[in-house]
Amino acid sequence: MDQIKQELKKQIIEQLNLEDVAVEDIADDTLLFASDGLALDSIDALELIVLLEKFYGIQVVNPEEGKTAFKSVDTMAAYIQQKTAQ
Amino acid sequence: MHYIKAASSITHQPSFQQKGFAADLSPLSVAGEVIAPNYKEYIEGALLRRMGKILRMSVAAAKDVILQADAGQPNSIVVGTGLGCLLETEKFLTNTLTLTGMLPPTAFIQSTHNTIAGQISLILENHGYNMTHTQNTLSFEHALIDARLLLDEGQELVLVGAADESIPFLEEVSRNLLTASLPVLTSGASFFMLDTRVAEATVAIIDVKVHFGAEDRGAIVFDFLKEHDLSYPAIDLLMTPLSMQQQGLDSFGKVFAGTRQHTYLDYSGLYPSASAFGFHMAIDMMQMDRRIGYTLIINNLSANSLGLILLKNCEA
Repeated sequence: MDQIKQELKKQIIEQLNLEDVAVEDIADDTLLFASDGLALDSIDALELIVLLEKFYGIQVVNPEEGKTAFKSVDTMAAYIQQKTAQ
Repeated sequence: MHYIKAASSITHQPSFQQKGFAADLSPLSVAGEVIAPNYKEYIEGALLRRMGKILRMSVAAAKDVILQADAGQPNSIVVGTGLGCLLETEKFLTNTLTLTGMLPPTAFIQSTHNTIAGQISLILENHGYNMTHTQNTLSFEHALIDARLLLDEGQELVLVGAADESIPFLEEVSRNLLTASLPVLTSGASFFMLDTRVAEATVAIIDVKVHFGAEDRGAIVFDFLKEHDLSYPAIDLLMTPLSMQQQGLDSFGKVFAGTRQHTYLDYSGLYPSASAFGFHMAIDMMQMDRRIGYTLIINNLSANSLGLILLKNCEA
């Protein structure tokens, strides 16, 4: 699980081109879309959907699922684990 | 008449916020990087991270022009670009070839030619006319013509500019396809605020014309000047992309024998809309030396087309 979280942080930084953010800056529970978190926006949400498909083969077809899954690295990792276990 | 209220260029020369930069130019032998400001001073971080080089250069230069002009929102934003957002286009096309399933949206959004003018208008929150002209080496001249038409129709302020960027693939293509020894391939963005009112000693645009398939270029230039009751000796400064000798136009160069002649491609490097840099260079030289009355910028970079811009130093 910890390895998935580390990979996710690297992939988020690279995919979203977060130039001033390092892996250490993202805590497992940092809110991705909150202004006091990473302050991501709707285009980033689309990039995260593509990221999940590209690296983990997971298609987010239900928008409600995405809302929960993209809260933080913690929730994304749990979502990946849940989907890959199915 | 239309006047240049402000000008800004981000290029491989120290042209950004440097009045008199034209006196401090060095010929480029290697492309290297453009001399850029700290983009974070001009573009919010969340937007900046999605922007490629051409967008960063263009938005920063456009915002600098707005600040210099200190005249509020332009009525219109008009941009010329020969090849558009190449970096993002390459990313998008690579994604389409290498990825299955969904494609990342950012590269697609940022890859269209009109992204430049669009991003400038979004950042300025400008709801006016917004247009991009793509006409190879005459893209800037077409944007300038459009801007002047808008001013003639009653608008007062128009932001006009041009930008292009080089990517490694472009160098590879040019190495394989072009045999002639050309200046290094580079990137650059130049923006200008055009105004219908003259407020101080400034440079006026007298005329802009484009010709395609031009064969007798000497006659076209002669007629262009004649339209404004001018002859060759009336031109104080002649700007061309390369020297007449380099272009095998020695005889044409002779008619301007008494005119101060400058080239701009040796300093800007080669990109389709480099005439916008030549335009800024000419304006800078005219502002630094008010004895220069008329300037003619001949853009004969492409063998099949000809762009002509006539400028004049004006007092308020």
